Amino acid sequence: MALTSLTIQDLWAAIKPKRFEPTDNQEKAILHTEGPLFLTAGPGSGKTRVLLWRTLNLIVFHNIKPEEIFLSTFTEKAAFQLQEGLRSLLGLVTNITGVPYDLSHMYVGTVHSLCQRLLTDRRLSNGGRRPINPALKDSLEQYFYVSDRRYWSSATAAVGFPADVDEANKVITQYLNKTPSSSRHVAATQCISLFNRFSEESVDPSAIRERTEDETLKALIDLYDYYKRSLTPETGVPFIDFALLQQKAFERLEQCLASETVFKHVIIDEYQDTNTIQERLFFKLAKGHKNICVVGDDDQALYRFRGATVENFVQFPERCQHYLETDATPIPLNTNYRSRRKIVEFYTDFISRCNWKRGSGTGHYRIADKDIQAHSQDEQPSVIVSTAGSPDNVCAEIADLVKRLVDEKKVEDPNQIAFLFPSLKSAQVERMRAALEAVGLRVYAPRAGRFLEVEEAISIFGIYLKIFGKPDRGDFKGNDYNEFHNWMESCLRDADRLLKTDKTLATYVEDRKREISTALNDYRILVEVAARHQWDLNQPYDIDLMMRSLLSAGGLSETAKKNLSNSFFGRIAKKRAEEGQPFMLSYVITRMTSIDWSVLDLFYRICAFDHFRAMFNLAEKGTDEGPICNLGLITQYLARFIDTYSAVIKAPFLLDGKFRNTFFMRFLYSLFRLGEAEYEDADDPFPKGRVPFLTVHQSKGLEFPVVVLGNPRKDDRGPQQVEKIVRPLLDREGEPLDRMSQFDIMRMFYVALSRAKNLLVIAHYSGRGQSISEPFKTLLNGQVDRIPSLNLDTLPAAKVEADNLTKNYSYTSDYLLYQKCPRQYMIFRKYGFVASRSQTQFFGNLVHKTIEDLHHLLIARRTQL
Amino acid sequence: MTEADIEAQIREMFEENYELLQAEGGHALTQDGKNAALRQVLLYWQKMRDVAENVTDTEVKLNLPDQMTPKGRKYGIEGVVDIIREDDRTVMYDIKTHDYDYVNKNKELYEKQLNVYAYIWQSLRGQELDQTAIIATAFPTAVQEALDRDDERRLAAALEEWNLLIDIPFDQLHVGQTIADFGAVVDAIEENKFAPASVEKLKTRFAARGRELLFATQVCRNCDARFSCSSYRNYVVSSGGRSDSTFARYFQEFGSDSEQEEWLTANLDAAPSPEAFEV
Repeated sequence: MALTSLTIQDLWAAIKPKRFEPTDNQEKAILHTEGPLFLTAGPGSGKTRVLLWRTLNLIVFHNIKPEEIFLSTFTEKAAFQLQEGLRSLLGLVTNITGVPYDLSHMYVGTVHSLCQRLLTDRRLSNGGRRPINPALKDSLEQYFYVSDRRYWSSATAAVGFPADVDEANKVITQYLNKTPSSSRHVAATQCISLFNRFSEESVDPSAIRERTEDETLKALIDLYDYYKRSLTPETGVPFIDFALLQQKAFERLEQCLASETVFKHVIIDEYQDTNTIQERLFFKLAKGHKNICVVGDDDQALYRFRGATVENFVQFPERCQHYLETDATPIPLNTNYRSRRKIVEFYTDFISRCNWKRGSGTGHYRIADKDIQAHSQDEQPSVIVSTAGSPDNVCAEIADLVKRLVDEKKVEDPNQIAFLFPSLKSAQVERMRAALEAVGLRVYAPRAGRFLEVEEAISIFGIYLKIFGKPDRGDFKGNDYNEFHNWMESCLRDADRLLKTDKTLATYVEDRKREISTALNDYRILVEVAARHQWDLNQPYDIDLMMRSLLSAGGLSETAKKNLSNSFFGRIAKKRAEEGQPFMLSYVITRMTSIDWSVLDLFYRICAFDHFRAMFNLAEKGTDEGPICNLGLITQYLARFIDTYSAVIKAPFLLDGKFRNTFFMRFLYSLFRLGEAEYEDADDPFPKGRVPFLTVHQSKGLEFPVVVLGNPRKDDRGPQQVEKIVRPLLDREGEPLDRMSQFDIMRMFYVALSRAKNLLVIAHYSGRGQSISEPFKTLLNGQVDRIPSLNLDTLPAAKVEADNLTKNYSYTSDYLLYQKCPRQYMIFRKYGFVASRSQTQFFGNLVHKTIEDLHHLLIARRTQL
Repeated sequence: MTEADIEAQIREMFEENYELLQAEGGHALTQDGKNAALRQVLLYWQKMRDVAENVTDTEVKLNLPDQMTPKGRKYGIEGVVDIIREDDRTVMYDIKTHDYDYVNKNKELYEKQLNVYAYIWQSLRGQELDQTAIIATAFPTAVQEALDRDDERRLAAALEEWNLLIDIPFDQLHVGQTIADFGAVVDAIEENKFAPASVEKLKTRFAARGRELLFATQVCRNCDARFSCSSYRNYVVSSGGRSDSTFARYFQEFGSDSEQEEWLTANLDAAPSPEAFEV
């Protein structure tokens, strides 16, 4: 069939197993092609499908090239699903018409990943040469950078905080959190969130500085400025953090005229969660063609704490006037296909039970006229409340119900029943877990635990503590500090057990300890020799003059002697001396007494011992991948340590417990306090056989046959301090400070309630010391169906929906690598272990990247000629 | 832009890329490694000017969608190539940091790969290909030796001798078989089958850089996970006499002496001194 006679309706009819029949509004949205489009999409209203078909319509029927589309999603997974869905539908078109499509240049991804692409996009650079790009610091690197002792003291002193760092920390934390603390960790963490907020609001430090009289705030603004400048050194690679990445991309767009026309269509999903700098970026990209389509639901806005401003969505029509001087076409997607009727009615009623009216009396702080309708006609009870009672009774009743749902096959697997909580750190969570375990069900709470507390981390770091020694427990009595020392002690107990059962491991540990003390001893001896001869450590190493004396020093180990007389090193040293760049004596002494291995080398060797090798064996056979996932994560942290500090463990670094303090008390303690979470498989987040416990935030964008709202309580503690600080510095008028936290609580529960497909269960705690938030209080005490009255026969059984996504495999890095060695593939490719010594990959990337740059340079030169 | 300009640009881009890759958490390359990488790019430019100057699409991402494994899993195949289109001729190149000798002696491996890529290109773009070739950028032993001795005359001769371009016969007959193999590997990956390469495989030899190389030294010795690997352990024990002493040796193994010295040189220079960071 020729393309000219094919219609989109033909394609809808060709979809299997069931033809696609859009509602009127869905169809209107899909066929809309010009000007701004404002899609308000209620929960479960099929927006992903609409986006998919709309993009297809543009590519197939309106000649838009994939690389002219900018499509931003909230997660990489959503981006992947869209891209693969599109690829599959386009394949269908190709089969009919013979016209091929290539999606490899289409922009589809999260805002962050798309910003990184914008920075390397040659269409946006002048002259085809890839502009110098900053390296990205992730949040952990950002933390280590800012909280480094030297950096922190010089930064705070430079902007006028007290020279005594403890005092400076108290001033900062008093201001930012109303609780003074002398801890550098606490002060730095709070500053980082303020900095990120400034970056997301895209403020100019010198401008906002003028808006406040408060000296502390002025100093904090200066500190932000200091931080930003420090990331761009005069020489070397500039750095950016995640929040600054967007600002950088925006600056790049500003510098390039073509940026307003490169993309003919800009499509943004989850628009209610965008921040100020993102809004500017999107409108900038859409400026030329004015085709910007936003999709979202203000009632599901969850990310104020990351700088998101729901007003960007609620006031999208006004913003279109402001930036593009044109009207937006609003189309509501208001039919809910996800949930049974009573569930839809319940959460629609819920969200309206809050005063959303603007202070002025006209209009609302939400889009109030959404008219969400359930597609389901099922009038049977689907919202069930527990019998009001004490937490123990409520949890037992709910656990019993869950057990019946599993036993009577109302779900195919316990992982279809999700427990949602405002936070996973409450007593109700533990009570609920205990109740489920009491009836024989197992719980899975992704990212709830601390990574360092998993068994594998305890075993590995126990061995490290044995080798390097445990730092002493000082007089300091902080909570975290004590907990961390307790953790180290539990690691040591674990190591003692392992060493007792594996003598070869015990020998290995003893050998390493000896190696370290030998290195230290050698270092002292060599420094003494230098002193005796009155050689300055900073004078050049004169091999003919010095080697003999160094070699003959009494007590020097064989290893050091061997290193000193190493002919390979001798040659380098001579060559360097001839070239006028001799090694310094201190360098030579350090080099001769360095430990042969890095912390990562040590890891891979420890893995040779039975206890750890067994974990690899489990994974090789596909029996259990839990342990190896955690081992892989350990290598990533060890690599980070190496990148931040040093690969080579030098004797001076080992002196006076310096290494021990850096590794345990600085590095691991920080990971511990930051609560770095355990491994999570993004492709398979909910293991079979377990009931998932999630925060409402984690449940965003998901749906479950059964949802249990485990704690309908979230106390209104007013807006976050950072909101109060930032608001007066900005030009825009937002939600009133005294109402925003109530709005946020309503939205958070709305998201939770709307995740349920077949059954929504709500815990109703009552009695002494129990309270639940409004409007739940009113709703639950009114006319509701209770668990004892639920007739399970009325409940439809849930099916497991097969995830029919195509996975992509690379010819070289999957197929060929697997063929070379399946185990190597598993370790480095599947579980992301960081290699310690291998240079092959770095080497290959470097050559390929540079040849690619050369090609681009030559292509640009040709087109200019 | 003159020849010298371009060389200067290459050096500059190379330095930037190096710094960026390193800043983003790559480890340091040894100075020799870094020099070798730069030299590969420069020699590529010198030897393959005709290709480089005519490339029309670089680092083209290929994707073959909607494939099905023998066990019914849906998957797609991805690859990256460079393309030259001139008048009515289209040539596909795959640039590899491998050496000519290896590619030439293991040609069938590359034939399979490039023919699958060619198949994807033709179905993706609906555009016929006229030629497929590998460009192998690792320089041969003769060039390396001339460089080591700083001998310009020998270098010129070695460069003259050196061939980077290996034509890959264009043959779509076996594409179906390769894709079927690929599907079987996808099944194995999805079913978590990850037993290491066998001891027999570790003892096999293959040709590269004009020599016969052993899998166990070329592949395993470069694999940090070898210590916990049953195949490598069996290999060491079966080829090394008494197991106790060989075992101790294999724990102490940090590459050859010169490799260890290079590691120290690279990392002592690259690493910030511990004094620069404090607790």
